[in-house]
Amino acid sequence: MKRRKEKNKQKFTIGMRKKLVVLFVLVLLAFVGLGVRLILITKNNGEEYQKQVLSQQQYDSTTIPFRRGEILDSNNTILAYSEKVYNVILDAKILLRDSKYLEPTVKALVRCFNLDGGEIRNYLSEHPSSQYYILAKKLSYSEISEFQGLITPGSDTYDENIQGVWFEESYIRKYPNGSLASDLIGFTSSDNTGMYGLEEYYNSVLSGTPGREYGYLDDDSNLERTTISATDGDSIVTTIDGNLQTIVEKHLKEFNEQYKNNAREGNGANNVGCIIMDVHTGDILAMASYPGFDLNNPRDTSALIGMPAVDEKGNKVQGESVYDSGVYITEEMLADFTDEQLYQNYNALWKNFCIADTYEPGSVAKPFTVATGLESGSITGDEVYNCLGKLEVGGWEIKCHNTYGDGYVSVSRGIEISCNVAMMYVAQAIGVNTFTKFQKDFGFGLKTNIDLAGEARTEGLTYSASNMTSTDLATNSFGQGFNVDMIEMITAFCSLINGGYYYEPHVVKKIVSSSGATIKNIEPRVLRQTISQSTSDKIIEYCNQVVAGAEGTGKTARPAGYMIGGKTGTAQTLPRGNHQYVVSFMGYAPASDPDIAIYVVVDRPNALYQDDAKFATRIVRAVLTEALPYLNYPMTEELSEKEIAELETLREQLVTTAVAEDENSEEGSEEAENTENAGDTENTEEAASEASSDTTSVDRSSIWESFDKDPTTGYYVDPSNGNLIDPDTGSVIGGDALPDFEGEPGEASSESSSATN
Amino acid sequence: MERVKTLRKPKIESYIDYSLVFIVLFLLAFGLVMLYSTSSYEANLDYGDSAYYFKHQLGPTIIGLGAMIFMSYFPYRILKRFAFPIYVIALFLLLLLIPFGKVINNAKRWIIIMGISIQPAEVAKFATIVFTSTLIIKLQKRLMQPKGYATALAFPTALAFLVYSITSNLSSAIIIMGITVIMLFVSTPGYKRYIIAALSVLALATVIVLIVANSANSSGMNYRFKRILVWLDPAAYASGKGFQTLQALYAIGSGGIFGKGLGESMQKMGFIPEAQNDMIFSIICEELGLFGAIAVMLMFLLLIWRLMVIANNAPDMFGALLVIGVMGHIAIQVILNIAVVTNTIPNTGITLPFISYGGSAVIVQLAEIGMALNVARNIGR
Repeated sequence: MKRRKEKNKQKFTIGMRKKLVVLFVLVLLAFVGLGVRLILITKNNGEEYQKQVLSQQQYDSTTIPFRRGEILDSNNTILAYSEKVYNVILDAKILLRDSKYLEPTVKALVRCFNLDGGEIRNYLSEHPSSQYYILAKKLSYSEISEFQGLITPGSDTYDENIQGVWFEESYIRKYPNGSLASDLIGFTSSDNTGMYGLEEYYNSVLSGTPGREYGYLDDDSNLERTTISATDGDSIVTTIDGNLQTIVEKHLKEFNEQYKNNAREGNGANNVGCIIMDVHTGDILAMASYPGFDLNNPRDTSALIGMPAVDEKGNKVQGESVYDSGVYITEEMLADFTDEQLYQNYNALWKNFCIADTYEPGSVAKPFTVATGLESGSITGDEVYNCLGKLEVGGWEIKCHNTYGDGYVSVSRGIEISCNVAMMYVAQAIGVNTFTKFQKDFGFGLKTNIDLAGEARTEGLTYSASNMTSTDLATNSFGQGFNVDMIEMITAFCSLINGGYYYEPHVVKKIVSSSGATIKNIEPRVLRQTISQSTSDKIIEYCNQVVAGAEGTGKTARPAGYMIGGKTGTAQTLPRGNHQYVVSFMGYAPASDPDIAIYVVVDRPNALYQDDAKFATRIVRAVLTEALPYLNYPMTEELSEKEIAELETLREQLVTTAVAEDENSEEGSEEAENTENAGDTENTEEAASEASSDTTSVDRSSIWESFDKDPTTGYYVDPSNGNLIDPDTGSVIGGDALPDFEGEPGEASSESSSATN
Repeated sequence: MERVKTLRKPKIESYIDYSLVFIVLFLLAFGLVMLYSTSSYEANLDYGDSAYYFKHQLGPTIIGLGAMIFMSYFPYRILKRFAFPIYVIALFLLLLLIPFGKVINNAKRWIIIMGISIQPAEVAKFATIVFTSTLIIKLQKRLMQPKGYATALAFPTALAFLVYSITSNLSSAIIIMGITVIMLFVSTPGYKRYIIAALSVLALATVIVLIVANSANSSGMNYRFKRILVWLDPAAYASGKGFQTLQALYAIGSGGIFGKGLGESMQKMGFIPEAQNDMIFSIICEELGLFGAIAVMLMFLLLIWRLMVIANNAPDMFGALLVIGVMGHIAIQVILNIAVVTNTIPNTGITLPFISYGGSAVIVQLAEIGMALNVARNIGR
């Protein structure tokens, strides 16, 4: 058996064994060779490769976005908040790992996000190794929740074949009220940086700290990954009352609707601003200017239409003649704008007129002149001046609004009828040194340091004692010749009527952490005492006469059922004689014990005759008619039948929230009535007082009241030169108090007459 | 006499090459540990289960151990009779790829039978060993003549050609040819022709490399030629074809002498794509350093040495040839794999036996070891 087997069996010969050993030696050599190669790689390139390996690790990695703080109004209504949004990211590499993922994933994407399936497929075939491609941007949670379910393991709809899609989180800023308080709030750029207003001023408070997910090497050069979560920004609670703000903006808009494209193509005025302030704290309750813009879409060009165009320095583009108030943006102009021009005009739109624009205040400065006189003891308040319609100061002839002369004018009547001559006498009694010192005390020429970005610098826009001439003093006394901005004026005015306490104006009252804990309360801050209580009382008494007095220039500002005080202003602009005016009304309510102050400025109203403070007083009246009941002030005055009817319609509108058009037509008819019968005021009560003033003013030799009335406009006509005269105030329409201070004194145009009531 | 009988009997019947078994088990266990370490990061990313590859390798390993035990009891001489059927089955499986092959990573290399994916190329390697051994025995003296030699070469060449043309898997074809040449080298006397053949292959390779390296336009080239360019200067193709090679070199270089420690590799975190396949040796170098890498190489050398000892002591030529085939298979794969990882030769997809991820491969390789154990079992009979 064994033998037979051996015969058949081929032996593994010695030669073969030798060859096998040779083979093994060859294998051994190969192993040795490879071993040497390994050693060489480690020895020669070890350090270099080690660095390479470390350098290609990702240490920086991802940033986790923070949530920007909210902006709330004083009733904790949200004015601005940040919402988490999701970008849909496609990772082609992971998706293409297996062909079975492709169809379900693309189908789900098309279904959930309405994407173009063909485009996705194209992208995948062109960039198979791409790991980051944004398919859709800034989707809300509800928009992605369906897809989220598909890719979340464990959810009911989970589909394991959907791969290579993930969501990247970020936040977008939302403004639920759209354009409400747009100039005040400001907006954020795409990288979460605040621009303008509160967003800019409180940027560091609102911003949190972004979190990070990063890798680092520990002592043994091992990669560790750590996540530091983001710290959300703090929220700010403002002093703004959203309802008041809404009321103010509604009426500014109404004003614009009424006057736009009136005398010229464009908005109702170059700018309209309104501030409501708490007299006792410096809280800003409402601050608005027209035009505003949609905070959710600040680059909407339609908001620009009707605005005066500005040049690269932000100055208004001059019209062809000096009588033009500006060049107004039309759709055709928009189409021709370069990007640069567009942004210049956006900046003009975005800035806050109430704090950023300076102008000559006009007669609203008169209470300050009187307060200075009283406080410094230069006048007692019992003085009576004789107004002859003009006064020659330093060789210049400076006119009163009523060039025919107001006769004997007491200090109180000087405020009431806004007599320039009386103020010039007061200022002369005060003297340059005291006048400029008090101007500083009132904060003219100083920033108020309101907590908003973009406050104008007014330093150098007022006179100092050393460079103020007697003519400057005279013009300053009625608010010409120096520049202020709105917030400066109303802050100083509050100190006149609250007993002399100058509060720093502020918009934010509280800073709250993202968890709701109060971090900081911002208390009202008295900076200085400007005048004494007794002076303050007198100023209130005088200013009440502006609205309540028979000859008062601000009667049209009185809301139905309330008594208020205040001062009108009609300021000439530069160059003098350009027939362009800034009209304003600065008032307070209630008249007896002021709580809130309101200041409305209409910059170059869109009207043939701009020098009429009623452009401003009507806005004040409309705002206060709604605002005072809202603020729960009891009515003190009897209502006329017309006022009752007016309040009825207003109440109905509030209840039914009637369409804006109805509102406008109602207002429009009322206004139309006013302009047609300019001699009448809005209600019979005032008409009655008007009648009585007529009788008394005849005794005071108001020459203009004997002139004929122009039947079309309702203005009196001066037969000697054809000038139109305002029947309420006696001021000449289109006339100016100030001569053109160029050339030699005494060359003043004789035609120029009164303004600044 | 009785005592002598009882003493001799177990010696004859149960000779088991324990050192070979130990080496193989060690490599298998070590391979599973390294596989888990290498693949856990990517498995977790891709499948949400860090043990995904480990679990998928564990099954075939157990099946392979079963196959090894079975083959170690299966009398190897019977294989002579099954040689031709085995060859036909391998051919059939390869041809099945054409209609039923499953495309993964642009290559048609797998067929799925009853939920189990099989790589016919691995079966072909086993068939080559068995069939070439049988052929050499059958041809006997005729092997010395050119015609007989050509016959012995022709059948495995056909198999290799099919593997290459159907699966476009050049490395498997090279391994099949390599196994055949090694078996023929041992079974025929004389060195001359082998030296000439080796030199001419070397010369041809040099010429190809020179042509490729000096060609101005590389854009229209076959990807295999591009791999040659990459091999010559991997840094120049760092972001493309050279990425894997370069990253493997970084891994080897950054490991140092004792490595970063088991599981501490940084390169496995996405830098070496599919490191658990061809490039697992680079991760071994990175985690265990030169020390670990050379230890692994020594284990393979021991394995090959044990196989050589078994072949030298084989009871007959057929057994010896079978073991030489197995030895050649393992030696070629280990050498080529390490050579690729160290960028000593251009990149071809060759796995490291017992360690790399791959079910069919580990089953076939363990079956081959079982066959060698059966030859060892018959030593001295």
